[in-house]
Amino acid sequence: MTKETEYAIEVDKLTKRYGDLLAVNDISFTVSKGEVFAFLGPNGAGKTTTVEVIETIRTPTSGKVTLLGMDVTKKKHDIVPRIGVLPQGFSSFDRITVRETIQYYSRLFCCMNADIDGLIDLVNLKDKAKEQYKNLSGGLKQRLGIAIALVNDPEVVFLDEPTTGLDPRARHEVWEVLLGLKEKGKTVFLTTHYMEEAELLADTVAIISKGKVIAMGSPGDLIERNANYLALTFKSVDGKVFEILRKMGFEPVLDNHKNVEVRVEHTYDVQKILNAIKDAGALYLGLDIRKPNLEEVFLKLTGEALRENPPEMEPK
Amino acid sequence: MNPRIIIANLVVKLLSFSREKTTMFFVIAFPIILILLFGTIFMSQDNVEYHLCVQDLDQTKSSKESINALEVNGNFKITMVHPSINATQYVRDNKVNLVLIIPKGFERSLIRRKFFNDLQASVTITYIYDPSSSSVSTKMDVLNGVLAGVNQELSGMPPFIKSVKKSILTKKYRFIEFFVPGIIAMAVMTLSLFSTVDSETELRQKGIIRKLSTTPITRTDWILSNILYQFTLGVICTIAMLLVSYAVFHVSLHISAWLPAFILLDVFAFVGIGMILTRFAREAQSAAAAANAVSLPMMFLSGSFFPIELMPGFLQKFAKTLPLFYVNEGLRAAMVFEDNMAALRDAAIIGVFAAVVFILGIIATKWEDDK
Ligand SMILES: Nc1ncnc2c1ncn2[C@@H]1O[C@H](COP(=O)(O)OP(=O)(O)O)[C@@H](O)[C@H]1O
Ligand SMILES: [Mg+2]
Repeated sequence: MTKETEYAIEVDKLTKRYGDLLAVNDISFTVSKGEVFAFLGPNGAGKTTTVEVIETIRTPTSGKVTLLGMDVTKKKHDIVPRIGVLPQGFSSFDRITVRETIQYYSRLFCCMNADIDGLIDLVNLKDKAKEQYKNLSGGLKQRLGIAIALVNDPEVVFLDEPTTGLDPRARHEVWEVLLGLKEKGKTVFLTTHYMEEAELLADTVAIISKGKVIAMGSPGDLIERNANYLALTFKSVDGKVFEILRKMGFEPVLDNHKNVEVRVEHTYDVQKILNAIKDAGALYLGLDIRKPNLEEVFLKLTGEALRENPPEMEPK
Repeated sequence: MNPRIIIANLVVKLLSFSREKTTMFFVIAFPIILILLFGTIFMSQDNVEYHLCVQDLDQTKSSKESINALEVNGNFKITMVHPSINATQYVRDNKVNLVLIIPKGFERSLIRRKFFNDLQASVTITYIYDPSSSSVSTKMDVLNGVLAGVNQELSGMPPFIKSVKKSILTKKYRFIEFFVPGIIAMAVMTLSLFSTVDSETELRQKGIIRKLSTTPITRTDWILSNILYQFTLGVICTIAMLLVSYAVFHVSLHISAWLPAFILLDVFAFVGIGMILTRFAREAQSAAAAANAVSLPMMFLSGSFFPIELMPGFLQKFAKTLPLFYVNEGLRAAMVFEDNMAALRDAAIIGVFAAVVFILGIIATKWEDDK
């Protein structure tokens, strides 16, 4: 018997080296059953290495990793039927249709009688059921990959960068599928370098950089703890707004579109600033008030951007 | 090992194959085209038949019988030239290279020689020929041989030296019968080698392997289903080749359990080689190039297309180091010569070879790409 714990995944002092390269450096965390846990970090941070150790397909250099109470280095055969995986850069057989592919994977998990049509519905691929894999767009391929990850009705689902390389619309469609999963109460381990993805889907986010987990908590917590301010942006027409803000003791910055940006700690500061501008008769064309996001948290914690390009501009 | 997983894999592979037109062509149609092509080219060499024009100026029963004898003994296809035609002119006009003229008085001389023992009686047979033609000398050699036989017989004395024709083969076989087993061996080799290289590199490059390693399928299941798939294709294309050979060339080949056995050994050997190649050439293209580098010399030097006896000695020695040579020899032993001992010996050699490369292949292509 394997002991059942409240945790789906327990990682204790995991380290993984590739020769001289320290890919994962002594990390520890737990994932509770039923939660969506996101590993957020830039390329090369060690996300895939960590998930693949948990999925039993890589061996750790040191540390202990337990999945559903079982040691991943010893219980591969017991673990595999209970997890579902969408690997990074998922791909399948070119000339096999959506339906046949799902059927194939469900046969690999012999004893499971997968509800093929249910899975096709779940990922919204009903119209494409007879399409061969090679004819699917990137987003459809990923959705098929998600359906396949679910053929054995797994207790824990791993999704390694499910939306990387997709255009914004395809990304949103994948997110819809993932929100459906979340509603079903599956334990999901997600890796991503899109903070919107982590923020939207995750109950707990672990920020990983250079093989280390540098912060962990709910998205709200992380923001609260690390970026507790409001960002105000004025679309300005003259330099007055900038001057007023400086005189009030804030630290406004001008961006290259001549917009004035300022960070304030409390909501009543916003009112104060607006009043001051009004009293001085200064003009502005527009105002944007925004809570900071995980991007800024990441920036603050590591001093570097999560990714070089915004997702929309990323080459496919 | 899980039969259900193996079958699931086999189904996916066969489906992919049936949807891939180029692979279908190379696996099924290409060997058949080779058989049709080479079979037709070499068909004519199997029964060499020379064309011979004969002008019979005697027009007697004896002269007709002699012409008949020429047709039978010399294996000539005879065309009669009318006595009224000028033979020299006929050679020029009709672009034939030789006309044989039986003179008037042939029968009379023959009777005088045979029944009256008149040693003075003789006839002169004239060849009118075109010396610029390349095949005319062979033709005259054959004719001389036949005529010498006739002379000898007429002398009434038993010949001193007799020749007995005895082929090293107990059964006469034709080129096409030699060729078909070679093409079967070659086709199975190519399909095993290339589909292994293709599927292994595709698997790695496209990351399907990552997905599969998180499912219950094992490396053993994967390899066994590949073997089964290639064996199935091997059997399908062999059946197709045999049907065509029977229908078009009326071959006579002995079909026994050796045939599937050699197909299977052929598959194992080249799946093994394919796996080793993919281990050392990770890029799809370099792996395909390596597969070509292995299969082309194998095709031409191991006696698939022609007997290795036609090659210089050092190449013959080299041929005997090639695994395909033993599949060729074994299949021919089983299908043409019906020599079970020889087939068994070849099967043993290729079997040992297959076992070794197959195990090396398995070791070379473990699934974890972990260091
Ligand atoms: N099989 C491997 N062999 C050697 N180095 C590797 C291997 N896999 C990953 N790495 C290296 O380990 C580091 C972490 O990689 P990875 O876990 O893939 O990061 P992420 O998924 O966050 O992008 C990277 O520097 C990467 O180059
Ligand atoms: Mg990764």
